Amino acid sequence: MNPRTAALGQELSKRPLLGDGATGTQLQAMGLAPGACGELWNTEHPDRVRRVNQLYLEAGSDLLTTNTFGGTSFVLESHGVAGRGRELNLAGARLAREIAGDRAWVLGDIGPFGGMLEPLGETPSEAVAAAFREQAEALIEGGADAILVETMSDPAEAALAVRAAKGAGAGLVLATYTFQKTAVGYRTMMGTNAGDAVAAVIAAGAEVVGANCGTELSLEDYERLTAELVAAAAGRPVIVQPNAGAPRLVEGRICYAESAGEFAAAAPRFLLAGARLVGGCCGSTPAHIAAMAAILKS
Amino acid sequence: MPELIELTTAVAAGKRVDTVRLTQELLDAGHSPQSIVEQGLVPGMAIVGEQFKRNEIFVPEMLIAARAMKEALKVLEPLLVKAGIKPKYTVIIGTVQGDLHDIGKNLISMMWRGANFAVVDLGTNVSAERYLAAAREHNANLVGLSALLTTTMPAMKETVRVLKAAALPNLKVMIGGAPITQEFADDIGADGYAADAGTAVEVARRLMGEAA
Repeated sequence: MNPRTAALGQELSKRPLLGDGATGTQLQAMGLAPGACGELWNTEHPDRVRRVNQLYLEAGSDLLTTNTFGGTSFVLESHGVAGRGRELNLAGARLAREIAGDRAWVLGDIGPFGGMLEPLGETPSEAVAAAFREQAEALIEGGADAILVETMSDPAEAALAVRAAKGAGAGLVLATYTFQKTAVGYRTMMGTNAGDAVAAVIAAGAEVVGANCGTELSLEDYERLTAELVAAAAGRPVIVQPNAGAPRLVEGRICYAESAGEFAAAAPRFLLAGARLVGGCCGSTPAHIAAMAAILKS
Repeated sequence: MPELIELTTAVAAGKRVDTVRLTQELLDAGHSPQSIVEQGLVPGMAIVGEQFKRNEIFVPEMLIAARAMKEALKVLEPLLVKAGIKPKYTVIIGTVQGDLHDIGKNLISMMWRGANFAVVDLGTNVSAERYLAAAREHNANLVGLSALLTTTMPAMKETVRVLKAAALPNLKVMIGGAPITQEFADDIGADGYAADAGTAVEVARRLMGEAA
């Protein structure tokens, strides 16, 4: 195992670690058009991607996430750049690695492939597994210390991504799902509860499990969800990275309900519920992460 | 001789083989294709929508039921075309400009087909102008806008503005998607909002002037 990855595992057993916040919204603030392919900026505007990583490092993140959420060949194909997967993921990992240095670890980010797997959907799992494998290999080659599989809804897809990451040589894999609140508890879009979701990625080899993003989940919901994840994780570390509240459009601008202070104040409650890693998803900024860092250190 | 209610039960349970078999048996017994769709299949998909709304079932069960209905329609559609029978309502759907996500849009599209609407699916990244042109071309009753990305909410607002400004007679506009709320729908002047694929059928029917 890469010595940095081993050190990450050891550090995780000593103290809670802090992830980073949203990447896409930061890039949009720097001029990325809504809906445009953010991964292209890993080669077109490396300075701006570095800047996002840098802002989170300065905010106190222990873990920097690569700008590669939509880096599977499937998502890239929808943007008309299917053949550039390896190049864009490699570049994204190198940028984060360069900024992280010895001060932080790099999580190579893998998001959903964007469709439905057979037999429910039309996409064969072999093709999706190959896409995840290509992405994970490039991320590890570019310097990712661990792979983060995130925003998953389908446990079968999450397990494919985890296995692909392991097959590509990842020494540490984190796998997180996005949940919604339903009449029968927290479920993914596919109806999977926390227990089944976590079991699927543990069986595939994930060392760290948890949740990120979510639909209409308050920070109180996230606290309860954390407890469910911890119960399901059977001793493995749990990571939670919620949104900064629900988005609202105010005078043409997107606003998130939770201020940095409110958001950060929830972090100790997540840790009390048993989480070992905390961070943010949509709407969270370096200010949210800096506020979390201040509270975690105090 | 099978009853329509058996077909309704089969499609709601996602039993594809039974659904196709019962459809054929009902045809053989003299039921009209139209009555099989409207009194057999559509009520089955309505049950699916209700169960989905109440979180009794989730996306997989909905997909399986819709697939069963689709197979039955393969049997019925040639007969409906031959008889010159068209769905009562035509609806346009798409994901707004700047957004390439289509899972939610596809679910709504499926449920609208399940309600026997004629659905014109424009795909993803659809500009306001394309929605408008399609609404004109197909003389649509309703346009449905989907978005997953928070960042494309302004595109939704602009699309609603363009569609409303065109003032097509009887055209309604409804919106939905993970970041969307009723408050946002009211704010941008959409006629309706649906929180999920189950509700989308009811809201569409209500907007087009039918009792729920």
